[in-house]
Amino acid sequence: MTAKLLDRSAQAIAAAVKSGAVSAREVAQAALKRIEARNGALGAFTDVTATRALAKAEAIDAARARGMNLGPLAGAPFAVKNLFDIEGLATRAGAKINRDRGPATTDATAVARLEAAGAVLVGALNMGEFAYDFTGENAHDGPSRNPHDLERMTGGSSGGSGAAVAGGLVPIALGSDTNGSIRVPSSLCGLFGLKPTYGRLTRTGVFPFVASLDHVGPLARSVADLALAYDSMLGRDDRDPAQADMPATPVSPSLKDGVAGLRIARLGGYFARSAEASALGAVDTVARALKADRVVELAGAEAARSAAYLISMVEGGALHLERLRTHGSDFDPDVRDRLIAGAMLPGAWVTRAQKFRRRFRAETLALFRDVDILLAPATPGRAPKIGQRTFVLDGHEMLVRPNLGLFTQPLSFIGLPVVAAPLWTDGEELPIGVQIIAAPWREDLMLRVARALEQAGVVRAPVATFS
Amino acid sequence: MAGATSNAFDPEAVVDALLPLLGLAATPESRAQTIVHLKIAAEHARKLLSVPLDDSDEPAPVFKA
Repeated sequence: MTAKLLDRSAQAIAAAVKSGAVSAREVAQAALKRIEARNGALGAFTDVTATRALAKAEAIDAARARGMNLGPLAGAPFAVKNLFDIEGLATRAGAKINRDRGPATTDATAVARLEAAGAVLVGALNMGEFAYDFTGENAHDGPSRNPHDLERMTGGSSGGSGAAVAGGLVPIALGSDTNGSIRVPSSLCGLFGLKPTYGRLTRTGVFPFVASLDHVGPLARSVADLALAYDSMLGRDDRDPAQADMPATPVSPSLKDGVAGLRIARLGGYFARSAEASALGAVDTVARALKADRVVELAGAEAARSAAYLISMVEGGALHLERLRTHGSDFDPDVRDRLIAGAMLPGAWVTRAQKFRRRFRAETLALFRDVDILLAPATPGRAPKIGQRTFVLDGHEMLVRPNLGLFTQPLSFIGLPVVAAPLWTDGEELPIGVQIIAAPWREDLMLRVARALEQAGVVRAPVATFS
Repeated sequence: MAGATSNAFDPEAVVDALLPLLGLAATPESRAQTIVHLKIAAEHARKLLSVPLDDSDEPAPVFKA
Protein backbone atom coordinates (compact mmCIF):
# COMPACT_ATOMS: atom_id res chain seq x y z
CA MET A 1 0.00 0.00 0.00
CA THR A 2 2.82 2.40 0.92
CA ALA A 3 4.74 1.47 -2.24
CA LYS A 4 1.69 2.32 -4.36
CA LEU A 5 1.49 5.66 -2.56
CA LEU A 6 4.91 6.50 -4.03
CA ASP A 7 3.32 6.51 -7.49
CA ARG A 8 0.96 9.23 -6.38
CA SER A 9 1.61 12.93 -5.86
CA ALA A 10 3.46 14.58 -3.00
CA GLN A 11 0.16 16.19 -2.13
CA ALA A 12 -1.49 12.75 -1.78
CA ILE A 13 1.41 11.43 0.29
CA ALA A 14 1.19 14.45 2.61
CA ALA A 15 -2.56 13.94 2.98
CA ALA A 16 -2.02 10.29 3.93
CA VAL A 17 0.66 11.21 6.48
CA LYS A 18 -1.45 13.97 7.99
CA SER A 19 -4.47 11.69 8.29
CA GLY A 20 -2.44 8.95 9.92
CA ALA A 21 -3.19 6.49 7.12
CA VAL A 22 0.55 5.99 6.85
CA SER A 23 3.50 7.22 8.88
CA ALA A 24 6.22 9.42 7.44
CA ARG A 25 8.72 6.73 8.45
CA GLU A 26 6.86 4.10 6.42
CA VAL A 27 6.89 6.42 3.39
CA ALA A 28 10.60 7.12 3.78
CA GLN A 29 11.37 3.41 4.14
CA ALA A 30 9.35 2.64 1.02
CA ALA A 31 11.12 5.36 -0.93
CA LEU A 32 14.56 4.12 0.17
CA LYS A 33 13.60 0.57 -0.80
CA ARG A 34 12.41 1.71 -4.21
CA ILE A 35 15.60 3.71 -4.79
CA GLU A 36 17.63 0.61 -3.94
CA ALA A 37 15.58 -1.48 -6.34
CA ARG A 38 15.47 0.88 -9.33
CA ASN A 39 18.50 3.15 -9.14
CA GLY A 40 20.85 0.64 -10.68
CA ALA A 41 18.83 0.76 -13.89
CA LEU A 42 18.14 4.48 -13.83
CA GLY A 43 21.40 6.08 -12.66
CA ALA A 44 19.35 8.75 -10.94
CA PHE A 45 20.89 8.99 -7.46
CA THR A 46 24.56 9.62 -6.67
CA ASP A 47 24.02 9.85 -2.91
CA VAL A 48 21.24 8.44 -0.74
CA THR A 49 20.71 10.19 2.60
CA ALA A 50 18.94 7.30 4.32
CA THR A 51 19.87 8.15 7.93
CA ARG A 52 18.86 11.75 7.52
CA ALA A 53 15.60 10.80 5.77
CA LEU A 54 14.55 8.40 8.51
CA ALA A 55 15.41 10.91 11.22
CA LYS A 56 13.38 13.62 9.49
CA ALA A 57 10.47 11.23 8.98
CA GLU A 58 10.48 10.22 12.62
CA ALA A 59 10.48 13.89 13.61
CA ILE A 60 7.40 14.42 11.44
CA ASP A 61 5.64 11.46 13.05
CA ALA A 62 6.52 12.79 16.50
CA ALA A 63 5.22 16.23 15.56
CA ARG A 64 1.96 14.68 14.39
CA ALA A 65 1.64 12.80 17.65
CA ARG A 66 1.92 16.15 19.43
CA GLY A 67 -0.79 17.66 17.22
CA MET A 68 1.56 20.09 15.47
CA ASN A 69 1.11 21.58 11.98
CA LEU A 70 3.08 19.32 9.61
CA GLY A 71 3.38 21.53 6.54
CA PRO A 72 1.95 21.09 3.03
CA LEU A 73 4.55 18.49 1.96
CA ALA A 74 4.52 16.44 5.16
CA GLY A 75 6.41 13.21 4.66
CA ALA A 76 6.77 13.59 0.88
CA PRO A 77 10.19 12.35 -0.29
CA PHE A 78 12.26 14.62 -2.52
CA ALA A 79 15.79 14.70 -3.93
CA VAL A 80 18.01 17.37 -5.42
CA LYS A 81 20.43 17.65 -8.31
CA ASN A 82 23.88 17.23 -6.83
CA LEU A 83 24.80 20.88 -7.28
CA PHE A 84 22.59 21.79 -4.28
CA ASP A 85 24.51 21.84 -1.01
CA ILE A 86 23.51 19.07 1.38
CA GLU A 87 25.07 19.29 4.83
CA GLY A 88 27.71 16.61 5.21
CA LEU A 89 28.14 15.85 1.49
CA ALA A 90 30.62 17.26 -1.02
CA THR A 91 28.66 19.19 -3.64
CA ARG A 92 29.66 17.31 -6.79
CA ALA A 93 27.99 19.45 -9.46
CA GLY A 94 28.48 16.34 -11.58
CA ALA A 95 32.24 16.75 -11.51
CA LYS A 96 35.03 14.43 -10.43
CA ILE A 97 37.04 17.48 -9.40
CA ASN A 98 34.47 18.64 -6.85
CA ARG A 99 34.69 15.40 -4.89
CA ASP A 100 37.82 16.79 -3.27
CA ARG A 101 35.83 19.64 -1.79
CA GLY A 102 34.97 19.29 1.83
CA PRO A 103 31.43 18.42 2.81
CA ALA A 104 28.91 21.26 2.78
CA THR A 105 28.44 22.72 6.23
CA THR A 106 24.82 23.67 5.67
CA ASP A 107 21.97 22.93 3.26
CA ALA A 108 21.14 25.07 0.25
CA THR A 109 18.31 27.41 1.16
CA ALA A 110 15.95 25.67 -1.28
CA VAL A 111 16.58 22.33 0.45
CA ALA A 112 16.01 23.86 3.87
CA ARG A 113 12.76 25.47 2.74
CA LEU A 114 11.35 22.25 1.29
CA GLU A 115 12.18 20.45 4.51
CA ALA A 116 10.56 23.27 6.48
CA ALA A 117 7.41 22.49 4.46
CA GLY A 118 7.59 18.90 5.68
CA ALA A 119 9.30 17.23 2.71
CA VAL A 120 11.91 14.55 3.39
CA LEU A 121 15.24 14.68 1.56
CA VAL A 122 16.31 11.22 0.40
CA GLY A 123 19.41 12.06 -1.62
CA ALA A 124 21.38 13.83 -4.35
CA LEU A 125 20.91 13.27 -8.07
CA ASN A 126 23.09 12.69 -11.10
CA MET A 127 23.67 15.55 -13.52
CA GLY A 128 25.76 16.64 -16.47
CA GLU A 129 29.16 17.90 -15.40
CA PHE A 130 29.04 21.46 -14.06
CA ALA A 131 25.53 21.71 -15.61
CA TYR A 132 27.01 22.29 -19.08
CA ASP A 133 24.91 19.65 -20.75
CA PHE A 134 21.52 18.87 -22.28
CA THR A 135 21.90 15.05 -22.46
CA GLY A 136 21.93 13.76 -18.86
CA GLU A 137 25.12 11.84 -19.58
CA ASN A 138 27.90 12.02 -17.01
CA ALA A 139 31.43 10.87 -17.78
CA HIS A 140 32.12 9.95 -14.15
CA ASP A 141 28.84 8.60 -12.73
CA GLY A 142 27.42 7.18 -15.94
CA PRO A 143 24.30 8.38 -17.71
CA SER A 144 20.98 8.92 -16.07
CA ARG A 145 18.54 6.76 -18.05
CA ASN A 146 15.09 7.66 -19.29
CA PRO A 147 12.62 5.58 -17.24
CA HIS A 148 10.31 5.27 -20.26
CA ASP A 149 13.11 3.68 -22.34
CA LEU A 150 16.35 2.87 -20.56
CA GLU A 151 18.33 3.12 -23.81
CA ARG A 152 17.28 6.76 -24.21
CA MET A 153 18.57 10.00 -22.72
CA THR A 154 16.86 11.73 -19.84
CA GLY A 155 17.99 15.07 -21.14
CA GLY A 156 20.03 17.33 -18.93
CA SER A 157 21.66 18.73 -17.19
CA SER A 158 19.12 17.84 -14.46
CA GLY A 159 19.08 14.27 -15.78
CA GLY A 160 18.95 12.48 -12.45
CA SER A 161 16.06 14.73 -11.44
CA GLY A 162 14.13 13.62 -14.53
CA ALA A 163 14.94 9.94 -13.97
CA ALA A 164 14.06 10.03 -10.26
CA VAL A 165 10.62 11.59 -10.72
CA ALA A 166 9.58 9.75 -13.90
CA GLY A 167 10.88 6.51 -12.37
CA GLY A 168 8.68 6.91 -9.31
CA LEU A 169 11.58 7.20 -6.87
CA VAL A 170 10.39 10.58 -5.60
CA PRO A 171 7.38 12.75 -6.48
CA ILE A 172 9.43 15.97 -6.53
CA ALA A 173 13.03 16.76 -7.43
CA LEU A 174 14.90 20.01 -7.67
CA GLY A 175 16.95 20.97 -10.68
CA SER A 176 18.69 24.01 -12.06
CA ASP A 177 18.06 25.66 -15.41
CA THR A 178 20.60 27.97 -17.04
CA ASN A 179 19.64 27.42 -20.66
CA GLY A 180 17.00 24.69 -20.37
CA SER A 181 18.31 22.15 -17.86
CA ILE A 182 14.94 21.71 -16.12
CA ARG A 183 12.77 22.00 -19.24
CA VAL A 184 14.77 19.60 -21.45
CA PRO A 185 14.65 16.61 -19.04
CA SER A 186 11.02 17.43 -18.26
CA SER A 187 10.24 17.12 -21.96
CA LEU A 188 12.22 13.94 -22.56
CA CYS A 189 11.10 12.20 -19.34
CA GLY A 190 7.48 13.35 -19.51
CA LEU A 191 7.32 15.61 -16.45
CA PHE A 192 6.11 18.99 -15.38
CA GLY A 193 9.08 21.30 -14.89
CA LEU A 194 9.08 24.85 -13.61
CA LYS A 195 11.72 27.42 -14.43
CA PRO A 196 10.66 30.53 -12.54
CA THR A 197 11.43 34.13 -13.42
CA TYR A 198 15.14 34.96 -13.12
CA GLY A 199 15.69 36.28 -9.61
CA ARG A 200 12.56 34.68 -8.15
CA LEU A 201 13.93 31.73 -6.13
CA THR A 202 17.09 31.89 -4.09
CA ARG A 203 20.18 30.10 -5.41
CA THR A 204 22.12 30.27 -2.15
CA GLY A 205 24.07 27.06 -1.68
CA VAL A 206 23.74 26.04 -5.34
CA PHE A 207 26.95 25.52 -7.33
CA PRO A 208 26.96 28.18 -10.08
CA PHE A 209 27.38 27.88 -13.83
CA VAL A 210 26.39 31.15 -15.53
CA ALA A 211 25.52 33.59 -12.78
CA SER A 212 23.48 35.86 -15.03
CA LEU A 213 21.37 32.95 -16.32
CA ASP A 214 21.16 30.45 -13.44
CA HIS A 215 17.73 29.52 -12.02
CA VAL A 216 16.50 26.76 -9.70
CA GLY A 217 13.13 25.03 -9.80
CA PRO A 218 11.17 21.82 -9.29
CA LEU A 219 10.23 18.85 -11.50
CA ALA A 220 7.11 16.86 -10.59
CA ARG A 221 4.38 14.59 -11.94
CA SER A 222 1.52 16.96 -11.17
CA VAL A 223 0.97 20.68 -11.50
CA ALA A 224 -0.24 20.91 -7.90
CA ASP A 225 3.05 19.39 -6.68
CA LEU A 226 5.01 21.78 -8.87
CA ALA A 227 3.12 24.69 -7.37
CA LEU A 228 3.49 23.41 -3.80
CA ALA A 229 7.24 23.00 -4.19
CA TYR A 230 7.54 26.45 -5.75
CA ASP A 231 5.45 28.06 -3.03
CA SER A 232 7.55 26.37 -0.35
CA MET A 233 10.77 27.86 -1.76
CA LEU A 234 9.51 31.44 -2.08
CA GLY A 235 10.91 34.15 0.14
CA ARG A 236 13.67 36.69 0.41
CA ASP A 237 17.27 35.55 0.84
CA ASP A 238 19.77 38.40 0.88
CA ARG A 239 22.64 35.97 0.30
CA ASP A 240 21.65 35.63 -3.37
CA PRO A 241 22.51 39.01 -4.92
CA ALA A 242 20.46 38.23 -8.03
CA GLN A 243 17.25 37.65 -6.12
CA ALA A 244 14.66 40.31 -6.81
CA ASP A 245 12.77 42.01 -4.02
CA MET A 246 9.37 40.64 -4.96
CA PRO A 247 6.49 39.60 -2.72
CA ALA A 248 6.37 35.89 -1.90
CA THR A 249 2.93 35.30 -3.35
CA PRO A 250 1.98 31.61 -3.48
CA VAL A 251 0.49 30.24 -6.69
CA SER A 252 -1.32 27.17 -5.36
CA PRO A 253 -4.51 29.07 -4.41
CA SER A 254 -5.02 30.34 -7.98
CA LEU A 255 -4.41 27.04 -9.82
CA LYS A 256 -8.14 26.42 -9.98
CA ASP A 257 -8.87 29.74 -11.70
CA GLY A 258 -8.69 28.26 -15.19
CA VAL A 259 -7.83 29.91 -18.48
CA ALA A 260 -10.93 32.00 -19.13
CA GLY A 261 -9.91 35.47 -20.19
CA LEU A 262 -6.26 34.62 -20.81
CA ARG A 263 -4.85 35.70 -24.18
CA ILE A 264 -2.86 32.74 -25.46
CA ALA A 265 -0.78 32.52 -28.63
CA ARG A 266 1.75 30.14 -30.07
CA LEU A 267 5.20 31.25 -31.15
CA GLY A 268 5.94 31.04 -34.85
CA GLY A 269 9.08 31.78 -36.80
CA TYR A 270 12.16 30.40 -35.03
CA PHE A 271 9.97 28.23 -32.77
CA ALA A 272 8.22 26.59 -35.72
CA ARG A 273 11.43 25.52 -37.48
CA SER A 274 14.24 23.06 -36.71
CA ALA A 275 11.90 20.64 -34.97
CA GLU A 276 10.57 17.17 -35.61
CA ALA A 277 6.88 16.77 -36.35
CA SER A 278 6.33 15.41 -32.84
CA ALA A 279 7.46 18.67 -31.24
CA LEU A 280 5.35 20.90 -33.46
CA GLY A 281 2.41 18.51 -33.20
CA ALA A 282 2.52 18.73 -29.42
CA VAL A 283 2.22 22.51 -29.62
CA ASP A 284 -0.67 22.11 -32.08
CA THR A 285 -2.47 19.85 -29.63
CA VAL A 286 -2.06 22.23 -26.71
CA ALA A 287 -3.02 25.25 -28.80
CA ARG A 288 -6.18 23.49 -30.00
CA ALA A 289 -7.13 22.52 -26.46
CA LEU A 290 -6.72 26.13 -25.37
CA LYS A 291 -8.48 27.48 -28.49
CA ALA A 292 -5.35 29.51 -29.19
CA ASP A 293 -5.30 30.11 -32.92
CA ARG A 294 -3.12 33.19 -32.87
CA VAL A 295 0.55 32.97 -33.89
CA VAL A 296 3.05 35.63 -32.87
CA GLU A 297 6.72 36.12 -33.61
CA LEU A 298 9.43 36.69 -31.05
CA ALA A 299 11.68 38.76 -33.26
CA GLY A 300 15.35 38.13 -32.62
CA ALA A 301 14.88 34.67 -31.07
CA GLU A 302 17.68 33.14 -33.12
CA ALA A 303 20.10 35.91 -32.15
CA ALA A 304 18.91 35.56 -28.55
CA ARG A 305 19.82 31.90 -28.59
CA SER A 306 23.23 32.75 -30.01
CA ALA A 307 23.78 35.47 -27.41
CA ALA A 308 22.86 33.09 -24.56
CA TYR A 309 25.18 30.49 -26.07
CA LEU A 310 28.11 32.93 -26.10
CA ILE A 311 27.45 34.32 -22.61
CA SER A 312 27.32 30.76 -21.27
CA MET A 313 30.61 29.85 -22.92
CA VAL A 314 32.34 32.98 -21.61
CA GLU A 315 30.99 32.90 -18.06
CA GLY A 316 31.53 29.14 -17.85
CA GLY A 317 35.05 29.43 -19.20
CA ALA A 318 35.86 32.17 -16.71
CA LEU A 319 34.32 30.26 -13.79
CA HIS A 320 36.37 27.15 -14.45
CA LEU A 321 39.61 28.61 -15.84
CA GLU A 322 41.73 27.77 -12.81
CA ARG A 323 40.31 24.22 -12.69
CA LEU A 324 41.05 23.88 -16.41
CA ARG A 325 44.67 24.82 -15.67
CA THR A 326 45.14 22.52 -12.72
CA HIS A 327 42.72 19.62 -13.31
CA GLY A 328 42.18 19.60 -17.06
CA SER A 329 42.41 15.82 -17.36
CA ASP A 330 39.77 15.33 -14.66
CA PHE A 331 37.02 17.06 -16.67
CA ASP A 332 34.55 15.33 -18.94
CA PRO A 333 36.31 16.08 -22.27
CA ASP A 334 33.03 17.20 -23.87
CA VAL A 335 32.61 19.84 -21.18
CA ARG A 336 36.27 20.82 -20.90
CA ASP A 337 36.78 21.70 -24.53
CA ARG A 338 33.68 23.90 -24.68
CA LEU A 339 34.89 25.70 -21.57
CA ILE A 340 38.37 26.20 -23.03
CA ALA A 341 36.87 27.65 -26.20
CA GLY A 342 34.65 29.85 -24.03
CA ALA A 343 37.64 31.28 -22.23
CA MET A 344 39.01 32.36 -25.61
CA LEU A 345 36.05 34.37 -26.89
CA PRO A 346 36.44 38.11 -27.49
CA GLY A 347 35.08 40.43 -24.82
CA ALA A 348 33.44 42.44 -27.59
CA TRP A 349 31.15 39.49 -28.38
CA VAL A 350 29.89 39.04 -24.86
CA THR A 351 29.38 42.76 -24.32
CA ARG A 352 27.41 42.83 -27.53
CA ALA A 353 25.40 39.83 -26.31
CA GLN A 354 24.55 41.65 -23.09
CA LYS A 355 23.50 44.77 -25.00
CA PHE A 356 21.30 42.69 -27.27
CA ARG A 357 19.86 41.02 -24.19
CA ARG A 358 18.38 44.29 -22.96
CA ARG A 359 17.02 45.08 -26.43
CA PHE A 360 15.45 41.61 -26.78
CA ARG A 361 13.93 41.88 -23.31
CA ALA A 362 12.28 45.20 -24.16
CA GLU A 363 10.88 43.84 -27.44
CA THR A 364 9.54 40.73 -25.73
CA LEU A 365 7.93 42.66 -22.89
CA ALA A 366 6.17 44.77 -25.51
CA LEU A 367 4.74 41.56 -26.96
CA PHE A 368 3.28 40.69 -23.56
CA ARG A 369 1.11 43.82 -23.68
CA ASP A 370 -1.15 41.92 -26.10
CA VAL A 371 -0.76 38.36 -24.88
CA ASP A 372 -0.60 36.60 -21.51
CA ILE A 373 0.73 33.18 -22.46
CA LEU A 374 2.99 31.94 -25.27
CA LEU A 375 3.36 28.32 -26.38
CA ALA A 376 6.47 26.75 -27.92
CA PRO A 377 8.14 23.34 -28.24
CA ALA A 378 10.35 22.35 -25.30
CA THR A 379 12.75 20.17 -27.28
CA PRO A 380 13.25 19.60 -31.01
CA GLY A 381 12.05 16.00 -30.65
CA ARG A 382 11.68 13.01 -28.31
CA ALA A 383 14.57 11.53 -26.34
CA PRO A 384 17.64 10.61 -28.42
CA LYS A 385 19.50 7.39 -27.70
CA ILE A 386 22.17 7.44 -25.01
CA GLY A 387 25.50 8.05 -26.68
CA GLN A 388 23.95 9.64 -29.76
CA ARG A 389 26.24 12.50 -30.80
CA THR A 390 24.31 14.16 -33.61
CA PHE A 391 20.79 14.55 -34.99
CA VAL A 392 19.40 16.07 -38.15
CA LEU A 393 17.09 19.07 -37.97
CA ASP A 394 15.86 20.90 -41.06
CA GLY A 395 18.34 18.90 -43.10
CA HIS A 396 21.34 20.00 -41.02
CA GLU A 397 23.34 17.57 -38.91
CA MET A 398 23.87 19.11 -35.47
CA LEU A 399 25.50 18.08 -32.20
CA VAL A 400 22.91 16.75 -29.75
CA ARG A 401 24.57 18.02 -26.57
CA PRO A 402 24.34 21.77 -27.25
CA ASN A 403 21.25 21.73 -29.45
CA LEU A 404 18.59 19.91 -27.42
CA GLY A 405 18.02 23.29 -25.80
CA LEU A 406 17.61 25.42 -28.88
CA PHE A 407 13.99 26.26 -27.99
CA THR A 408 14.56 26.76 -24.27
CA GLN A 409 17.65 28.96 -24.53
CA PRO A 410 16.13 32.17 -26.00
CA LEU A 411 13.53 32.29 -23.19
CA SER A 412 15.77 31.83 -20.17
CA PHE A 413 18.10 34.37 -21.84
CA ILE A 414 15.71 37.08 -20.64
CA GLY A 415 14.56 35.26 -17.54
CA LEU A 416 10.97 34.53 -18.58
CA PRO A 417 9.08 32.03 -16.38
CA VAL A 418 8.23 28.78 -18.17
CA VAL A 419 6.43 25.55 -17.35
CA ALA A 420 7.30 22.50 -19.42
CA ALA A 421 4.24 20.25 -19.70
CA PRO A 422 4.36 16.67 -21.08
CA LEU A 423 2.24 15.14 -23.84
CA TRP A 424 1.78 11.53 -24.87
CA THR A 425 0.63 10.83 -28.40
CA ASP A 426 -1.46 7.72 -28.92
CA GLY A 427 0.80 4.75 -29.61
CA GLU A 428 4.00 6.57 -28.68
CA GLU A 429 6.16 5.18 -25.90
CA LEU A 430 8.03 8.41 -25.30
CA PRO A 431 6.65 11.79 -24.20
CA ILE A 432 7.46 15.28 -25.43
CA GLY A 433 7.03 18.64 -23.77
CA VAL A 434 5.53 22.00 -24.58
CA GLN A 435 6.73 25.25 -23.03
CA ILE A 436 4.03 27.42 -21.47
CA ILE A 437 5.60 30.87 -21.17
CA ALA A 438 4.44 33.92 -19.23
CA ALA A 439 5.65 37.47 -18.68
CA PRO A 440 8.15 37.97 -15.85
CA TRP A 441 6.67 37.37 -12.37
CA ARG A 442 3.49 35.75 -13.76
CA GLU A 443 4.19 32.17 -12.73
CA ASP A 444 0.59 32.09 -11.54
CA LEU A 445 -0.79 32.41 -15.07
CA MET A 446 1.31 29.70 -16.68
CA LEU A 447 0.57 27.28 -13.86
CA ARG A 448 -3.15 27.94 -14.26
CA VAL A 449 -2.82 27.00 -17.92
CA ALA A 450 -0.82 23.87 -17.10
CA ARG A 451 -3.39 22.84 -14.51
CA ALA A 452 -6.29 23.34 -16.92
CA LEU A 453 -4.51 21.21 -19.53
CA GLU A 454 -3.83 18.54 -16.92
CA GLN A 455 -7.47 18.48 -15.84
CA ALA A 456 -8.54 18.18 -19.46
CA GLY A 457 -6.21 15.18 -19.89
CA VAL A 458 -4.14 16.93 -22.57
CA VAL A 459 -0.92 16.75 -20.54
CA ARG A 460 0.01 14.10 -18.01
CA ALA A 461 3.07 12.67 -16.30
CA PRO A 462 2.66 8.99 -15.40
CA VAL A 463 5.28 6.98 -13.55
CA ALA A 464 7.18 4.76 -15.98
CA THR A 465 6.21 1.12 -16.03
CA PHE A 466 8.81 -1.23 -14.57
CA SER A 467 8.67 -4.95 -15.21
CA MET B 1 44.69 49.58 -45.34
CA ALA B 2 48.24 49.14 -46.62
CA GLY B 3 50.16 46.38 -44.90
CA ALA B 4 47.07 45.07 -43.08
CA THR B 5 47.11 41.44 -42.07
CA SER B 6 44.51 39.00 -43.40
CA ASN B 7 41.13 39.10 -41.66
CA ALA B 8 40.31 35.50 -42.51
CA PHE B 9 39.23 33.63 -39.36
CA ASP B 10 41.79 30.95 -38.56
CA PRO B 11 40.49 29.02 -35.54
CA GLU B 12 43.59 26.85 -35.30
CA ALA B 13 45.81 29.93 -35.05
CA VAL B 14 43.49 31.47 -32.43
CA VAL B 15 43.56 28.36 -30.27
CA ASP B 16 47.32 27.97 -30.56
CA ALA B 17 47.85 31.63 -29.66
CA LEU B 18 45.44 31.78 -26.74
CA LEU B 19 46.22 28.50 -24.97
CA PRO B 20 49.50 29.92 -23.57
CA LEU B 21 47.89 33.29 -22.84
CA LEU B 22 45.33 31.48 -20.66
CA GLY B 23 47.97 29.26 -19.09
CA LEU B 24 46.38 26.15 -20.58
CA ALA B 25 47.81 23.08 -22.22
CA ALA B 26 45.82 20.82 -24.54
CA THR B 27 46.23 17.32 -25.86
CA PRO B 28 45.82 16.97 -29.64
CA GLU B 29 42.28 15.64 -29.08
CA SER B 30 41.37 18.51 -26.78
CA ARG B 31 42.88 21.05 -29.18
CA ALA B 32 40.85 19.60 -32.06
CA GLN B 33 37.58 19.77 -30.09
CA THR B 34 38.35 23.26 -28.84
CA ILE B 35 38.70 24.32 -32.47
CA VAL B 36 35.30 22.75 -33.24
CA HIS B 37 33.70 24.70 -30.40
CA LEU B 38 35.43 27.93 -31.40
CA LYS B 39 33.98 27.55 -34.90
CA ILE B 40 30.50 27.00 -33.46
CA ALA B 41 30.93 30.08 -31.28
CA ALA B 42 32.03 32.11 -34.30
CA GLU B 43 28.85 31.09 -36.13
CA HIS B 44 26.76 32.21 -33.16
CA ALA B 45 28.70 35.48 -33.06
CA ARG B 46 27.98 36.01 -36.76
CA LYS B 47 24.24 35.71 -36.07
CA LEU B 48 24.44 38.01 -33.06
CA LEU B 49 26.58 40.66 -34.72
CA SER B 50 24.23 40.84 -37.69
CA VAL B 51 21.62 42.49 -35.43
CA PRO B 52 22.12 46.27 -35.47
CA LEU B 53 22.42 47.97 -32.09
CA ASP B 54 22.83 51.62 -31.12
CA ASP B 55 25.83 53.04 -29.32
CA SER B 56 23.45 54.07 -26.57
CA ASP B 57 22.10 50.55 -25.95
CA GLU B 58 22.93 49.56 -22.38
CA PRO B 59 24.12 46.04 -21.53
CA ALA B 60 21.63 43.96 -19.53
CA PRO B 61 23.49 43.67 -16.20
CA VAL B 62 23.37 46.98 -14.31
CA PHE B 63 25.84 47.65 -11.52
CA LYS B 64 24.28 49.41 -8.56
CA ALA B 65 26.60 51.32 -6.25
